[in-house]
Amino acid sequence: MTVDADKRFPAAGRITWRDIGASETGVAVVVLAIFALLPMVVSGYPIYILPQYMLFGMMAMSLGLMWGFVGILSFGQAGFFALGAYTMGLAMHTNWGINPAYVGLLLSLVVGGTLAAVVGYFLFSAGVRATYFVLVTLALSIMVEQVAVSQSEITGGWNGMFIDRMSLTFGPLGDVPLFDDAPAYYAVLPVVALSYVLLRWLVSARFGKILAGIRENEDRMTALGYNISVHKTRAFALSGAIACFAGALYGTHANFVAPSLGGVLFSTEVVVWVAIGGRHSLLGALLGGILVASLSNYLSTVTPEYWQLVLGLIFIAVIVFFKGGVAGAVAQLPRLWRTGRQP
Amino acid sequence: METAVSVVVDATLITLILALAAFGLAIIYGLVGVINMGHGAFLTLGAYLTWAATTAGVPFVPAVLLAALGVGLVGLALEHLIIRHFYDRPFDTLLLTWAFFLVMTEIIKIVFGTDFRNVASPLAGAIDLGTVKIPIYRATIALVSLALIGGTAFVFYRTTLGIKIRALIQNREVASLLGLDIALMYKLVFGVGACAAGLAGGLISPMLSVDPYIGNVFLVRSFFVVIVGGVGQLLGGTLIGSFFIGGSETLFALFSKQVFAQTVVFLLAIIVLRFRPAGLLRAR
Amino acid sequence: MTELLRTEGLAKRFAGLVANEDIDFRLEAGTIRCVIGPNGAGKTTFISMISGHLSPTEGRIFYKGRDVTPLSVVKRARVGIARKFQTPTVFDNLTAYQNVELAVLGTSCPSHKRRQRIFEVLDLIRLSELWDMPVQFLSHGQRQWLEVGLLIGVEAELLLLDEPTAGMTAEETGSTAKLVQRLARDYRLSVIIIEHDINFIRDLRAPVTVLHLGRVLREGSFDEVAADEQVREVYLGQDAG
Ligand SMILES: Nc1ncnc2c1ncn2[C@@H]1O[C@H](COP(=O)(O)OP(=O)(O)OP(=O)(O)O)[C@@H](O)[C@H]1O
Ligand SMILES: [Mg+2]
Repeated sequence: MTVDADKRFPAAGRITWRDIGASETGVAVVVLAIFALLPMVVSGYPIYILPQYMLFGMMAMSLGLMWGFVGILSFGQAGFFALGAYTMGLAMHTNWGINPAYVGLLLSLVVGGTLAAVVGYFLFSAGVRATYFVLVTLALSIMVEQVAVSQSEITGGWNGMFIDRMSLTFGPLGDVPLFDDAPAYYAVLPVVALSYVLLRWLVSARFGKILAGIRENEDRMTALGYNISVHKTRAFALSGAIACFAGALYGTHANFVAPSLGGVLFSTEVVVWVAIGGRHSLLGALLGGILVASLSNYLSTVTPEYWQLVLGLIFIAVIVFFKGGVAGAVAQLPRLWRTGRQP
Repeated sequence: METAVSVVVDATLITLILALAAFGLAIIYGLVGVINMGHGAFLTLGAYLTWAATTAGVPFVPAVLLAALGVGLVGLALEHLIIRHFYDRPFDTLLLTWAFFLVMTEIIKIVFGTDFRNVASPLAGAIDLGTVKIPIYRATIALVSLALIGGTAFVFYRTTLGIKIRALIQNREVASLLGLDIALMYKLVFGVGACAAGLAGGLISPMLSVDPYIGNVFLVRSFFVVIVGGVGQLLGGTLIGSFFIGGSETLFALFSKQVFAQTVVFLLAIIVLRFRPAGLLRAR
Repeated sequence: MTELLRTEGLAKRFAGLVANEDIDFRLEAGTIRCVIGPNGAGKTTFISMISGHLSPTEGRIFYKGRDVTPLSVVKRARVGIARKFQTPTVFDNLTAYQNVELAVLGTSCPSHKRRQRIFEVLDLIRLSELWDMPVQFLSHGQRQWLEVGLLIGVEAELLLLDEPTAGMTAEETGSTAKLVQRLARDYRLSVIIIEHDINFIRDLRAPVTVLHLGRVLREGSFDEVAADEQVREVYLGQDAG
């Protein structure tokens, strides 16, 4: 009865869901390649510290997923991150016959995912509004900080907790210790890259389309028969699991976790990274995390106060003028160029 | 018995001090609907300005009033430059006020440094009730808090200006029909809210050592006070919310560390927010 | 004929205000019904109770013989009841294609047939050529059609359409009547349609239920209803000025 849609509209369905998403693939490949090659040209401190920023970037992606793709802002991602680091620290002392680091990584996924799922469902099923969600997640990160402080017998309290570097074990194939910077770098990079690929795939798959539908119009989605609180909960659980997992890796890489890692200030710094990088782009979030964090680290030795001030002002400028952040602005360049050329 | 008395006294003091700290937020959030994440920065600024003025030799009470005025002006500037363009986008005001917090905190650090500062308490000593001692300053602040809230109640329910403002909250269209300048009203309310926060910061400063993040302690608690009490319920709501947060904190602190008690209180507040998003006393 | 929907003694009161009272309603599968009535008669309230957006103060709703009164909006959508809102409720920032895709994703349609299915729907609502257009740029009438398209895409069996022709040109209104008839005839869908436009109702040639002050005033063919003295008084009289 209908003419074959493929013949009439060959592009439909292939390009419609690619907004900023698909156009960033090329950039992502280049960026990841650069990161992969970097240790061959650079050594020393950058190679030591970069994996930590990449893990920050991974946490930023976990926020990007919620903020840019579901339209829900969380002020508590660092809470999950710190939770992961503490989980790792505790798991490192287990002696269950398997590599304790694996226990830590697995547990961090479970702990982060479960906590986010419980909190998420508890709030989403009541239709709690987005602004209250911000406050609750803010409270959540404070609570992580407070528990870390108050349960000092377990967590070391204010003094923090030391965590060993992990080793990778491949059963009979042997062990790879990650005590040196280069092996640690090459252990973290694939994880971050993989989480990027996974998230990119997910947001363009059915799940991601449904999330976009929820972001655009909750009433319509409900009336179409989608249980939006379940979908939101899934997204938040995933986001929490990723942030927690990144935190676990961070803990073992940095050898240390203190309560402030989960605190309000760090949690909202993540928001600033993602806002600047571009909340609608996972690559934007990732790079926002890596670049802003390294810049902060560098500039806070040069000009500590003024840099934070400038960062705050940039944040304001982004909210007022460039909703899409850097990624959004870059994505618009070709369009401006094209329209500029038209007579 | 002794603990019972001291719990009641503590809870009352904490409730009223918390109400004082949250009041500026209750005004801004409740009346103009801005989720003011900069509230903590207002408090901090109020504390620092008080410290600066007292250090410069100004007596405590005028110092606090100056601080309140200063914070009020900063609030007005914030409203005028940025917030007023975003009233119809509450989520952006949330982010923008948070950005204000970040910027303000850095400015405070640049101007005042990051060291702890202490404001001398103008009223030393304590009232000895035999079983418990009540610090005079705290007791005074509690009374001031009560007076402030009562005074605002008077303004809102007995003066034409207050009645106009309430008309505005209830219905913007009606208010514009009445010939009220809505933009000006919003500005006024925002400024008054900032001023109240500055006042609170100044009054609280002698009780704590002042650092650039002092307001953070109160930010989330203030929000929970306002939400648990019911957004827009300026008077009863603020008191009930403060009582809920402050009272349960005192109670839990009996059984555990102070920090952990706060965690439990946050948990309780989240549960209230989930089941009573319009406040403890009202169904949704 | 099989019964699709039945309500028994349906009532909705808002703090004393009677929006619906004692509505016994029956709809056969594959048929169209017009619900008319003056402003505030309770039409939207009525279909909101069927869609689950409002829960009745009293009474029961049976769908395919099953009591669906306690079911949520989501569950009712899943059993086949879908609703178009009085103000078009679509995904403004997404394209027409994406809009329909979100509806089709809610069905069991396998992924390799999805595109075909989406264009089937877009053809039906005449938006195929505009598939790539963010729907905020479509005309009001097109957006109304799109919303109907979403209900078709999600494979609803009972369509509740709240004033689908509001804001349409006379020509668009005419083709909407044809679309609705086609849905019932070719796709065996059942439609409850709220309307004010007399020409549209006449074109539809479907039985009419007249609501007035929340109660069923009259039920019958268009001609019967139009000839009814009471109806003329409360409804046509008012509208005709
Ligand atoms: N949520 C509500 N709360 C209180 N009263 C309501 C609510 N919804 C509807 N009403 C009232 O119920 C009555 C019926 O409203 P309804 O929207 O069902 O009318 P309608 O027939 O759809 O009118 P219209 O033709 O204007 O769309 C009206 O008096 C309306 O004011
Ligand atoms: Mg209606």
